[in-house]
Amino acid sequence: MTRHSPKIGVYGFTGCAGDQLMILNCEDQLVDLFGATEIRSFVMAKSDNHEGELDVAFIEGSISTEEQLKRLKEIRERSKVMIAIGTCACHGGPQSMKLGENKFDEMYKKVYGNAKIAISKAFEAQPIDAFVKVDMYIPGCPIDKAEFLGAVTKLVAGRHPYLLKAPVCLECRWKENPCILYSGKFCGGPLTKAGCGAICPSMNLPCVGCWGPTDDLNASSEYNLLKEKGYRSEEIIQKMKKFGGAKMAKLVAEFDKKEAKA
Amino acid sequence: MMILKMKKEDLSTFLDSIREWGELWGPVKKGDKCTYAKVDSLSQMDLKATRTIIPPKKFLYPPRFTMFDYDEEGYVERLGDVPKRILFGIHPCDLHGVLIMDKLFLEKYNDPYYRERREKTLFLGHSCIPDDKCMCFATNTDFIAEGFDLFFTDLKMFYLVWVGSTKGHDLVRMRPELFSRELDKNDILNYTEYRKWKNAQFKAQVDFTGMPDIFELAYTSPIWDQLAEKCLSCGQCSMVCPTCNCYNVTDEVELGALEGTRDRFWDSCMFREYSLVAGGSNFRDKRADRLRLWYTHKLQAFIGEFGKPACVGCGRCVSTCPVDINVVTVSNALKELEVGK
Repeated sequence: MTRHSPKIGVYGFTGCAGDQLMILNCEDQLVDLFGATEIRSFVMAKSDNHEGELDVAFIEGSISTEEQLKRLKEIRERSKVMIAIGTCACHGGPQSMKLGENKFDEMYKKVYGNAKIAISKAFEAQPIDAFVKVDMYIPGCPIDKAEFLGAVTKLVAGRHPYLLKAPVCLECRWKENPCILYSGKFCGGPLTKAGCGAICPSMNLPCVGCWGPTDDLNASSEYNLLKEKGYRSEEIIQKMKKFGGAKMAKLVAEFDKKEAKA
Repeated sequence: MMILKMKKEDLSTFLDSIREWGELWGPVKKGDKCTYAKVDSLSQMDLKATRTIIPPKKFLYPPRFTMFDYDEEGYVERLGDVPKRILFGIHPCDLHGVLIMDKLFLEKYNDPYYRERREKTLFLGHSCIPDDKCMCFATNTDFIAEGFDLFFTDLKMFYLVWVGSTKGHDLVRMRPELFSRELDKNDILNYTEYRKWKNAQFKAQVDFTGMPDIFELAYTSPIWDQLAEKCLSCGQCSMVCPTCNCYNVTDEVELGALEGTRDRFWDSCMFREYSLVAGGSNFRDKRADRLRLWYTHKLQAFIGEFGKPACVGCGRCVSTCPVDINVVTVSNALKELEVGK
């Protein structure tokens, strides 16, 4: 191929580093991946890193300190394209499950007490698009190899990557699993982006929503349905917010208003 | 068309014999539901099951498959790896669903991937026991006269076996001693009784008479917005509907090589992305518009084009939608001007 190899950087912020690990776990394609791209910076993979202009920056993790925020903005400035990888970078992840509840100070105190923290000032974790422009999202907990490689391959080939936007129910139906929500039990499938292959419902476990909210979800309808089935309001909201991050926090805030009206 | 008679106890022997032709598939239990799966014998099948989660369209047009492999030189279609299959236990509604798929994929537009699978699949129908969600009586799909290779009607002691194609007849000829052409008065009486019994089983409260007019009258009805408040946009209705046939196509590229595959997978007009076009415009951005399209297509537009609804009354939307949006609740809501609980 004569096309120039895109310069790539892979960075991690607040998260478990599982998405970076998943990239390295693409063992069969790793040689091709390093051959087709010029990996300038990837701390988990190599020690010889160079910070400079990038074609594509992959960002894992949410942002939770002033120092991280400064670093994120600096990477954004020198990257043509920024891609959020993993649910933490895309939506905030489990560390953002209390967004919108104004409980950060209380939680912070409970964990750290009055101890002096050496790092810069911390704040409630938020997805990266709360601070910078994001060109593309590849959620997942962790990301799916095929989705990640599919996207990278298309970027290298100068094409537009395609990721499923539909909810988990699409793939769940392809697998012919009986619908858990239809049976009256909580399942995050209709609220959650597909791409995982409906792994959990295929093992008869409800979807916990770990790929984050899908583009077009009707959270209030599922909330009403589950209340009819006997679930407590707090329990439903807690389940929806577990991986729902900033987007779900906003939707859940609207349920309260609707209920107050009714 | 020819009708033969077979002893119930001979079915197992017959199915064992015809496995020589191809893989045998039939309805088997999956939790408290049922699915078509590959089997070795009749004993693994659950012939009492009313409906499978996914209709037999999955054999003619899999949820996701590769159409062809391509490289710089051109492309090679993947048609050779389709296995020969015998599907046993297909109910009349699902056979009607296949006939609708045939209209769409074999007539005006010839779809080579569908045709290949259709020609390599034999349909052995079986009579059914309707439950409270079955409504084929309302769509005139409770009995079937074409589209199958063989059709078995269970009359307690015997099967009456309809031979619907030369391929079906070839199967019969593999074990001709199991079939008899000697039909008498009692067979006619038993069959008439069976039809009466079946007609008396339906409990669904549904009447599609006049639906095309009602859809036209209700085009701007607020019912659509009320239904949209409930709709989860999960797309399950499209996946389980025997006549939903829309698909998306994507190219997969090999990393570091100029080759890849072109893949095709089931899509749904219930998804917002379905009606998204280049430039970011979406002509059915509202969930209510998408719902209206789906139901109008099934119960109005299809009648205009093909003379019958694109609903075969199988009841899968009823047994799938978590928020109770289905052909029964929607058609009743449009007539009664309120969305039922």
